[in-house]
Amino acid sequence: MTSRAERPERIGAVDGPLPLALIAGSLAFAVVVLAYVALARTPDWGLLGFAGLIEAGALVLLVIAAVQVGDVDLHGGGTVTLFGYLIAGLVLLPIGFVWSLAERSRGATAVLAVVGLTEAFVFVRVLQVWPS
Amino acid sequence: MSSTRTGAGRVLVAVYGVFALAATARSLVQLLTKADEAPLAYGLSALAGVVYVAATLGLAEVGPQPRRLAWAAVGFELVGVLTIGTLTVLDPELFPDETVWSSYGAGYGWLPLVLPFAGIAWLWHTRPRD
Repeated sequence: MTSRAERPERIGAVDGPLPLALIAGSLAFAVVVLAYVALARTPDWGLLGFAGLIEAGALVLLVIAAVQVGDVDLHGGGTVTLFGYLIAGLVLLPIGFVWSLAERSRGATAVLAVVGLTEAFVFVRVLQVWPS
Repeated sequence: MSSTRTGAGRVLVAVYGVFALAATARSLVQLLTKADEAPLAYGLSALAGVVYVAATLGLAEVGPQPRRLAWAAVGFELVGVLTIGTLTVLDPELFPDETVWSSYGAGYGWLPLVLPFAGIAWLWHTRPRD
């Protein structure tokens, strides 16, 4: 039986490439939204699809964490904190879209940039909380 | 009278909402798992969380008197971040753990210091004019 440290890095690891891709994707999403704001464009299906990809990745990360959490030592409130961030990563985008799409204005579109930056922060915290 | 939840107000509500969620959830975890380590700091963070929730609801125009609620919340928030910020700058060892308002919110990118000013400016900008 191989220990965690001896395993080759897998795509499906909480401290693998997936959260890094989610951080990069969330930041890119925020930049795209800011471009929309600058051009006075309202959110479209392309932006919704981008958010859908991040949402799917967040869901996969939550499932991976749920499967692997038994293998790691999360003391104190570590487990609650970890899943708090993972669930936040899952609900932020839908709530943000509901709040944003209720109005057609630059301010309403900019809400999605706040959501993108917050998503990126959430995945950074997931990596920090997960014992490496 | 202008609405506090439209235009730029929508972004402000979103930012306050993120802080409400983050401060409340974080302080709840701290109070439930290690309250004895820094009860005052965690209690203050919980209080800040409640203030952010009130500001979010007030600015989003939820409740019977949302504008009054928003003014009270951002006013309390301003006093809180200035008081706790000053106390923790003068005596960094005051609390065993950080609060959201420690060192004027430096640990949160100074946003806790900027937010109440943004909130007050927005409430003033959208004030009723008869």
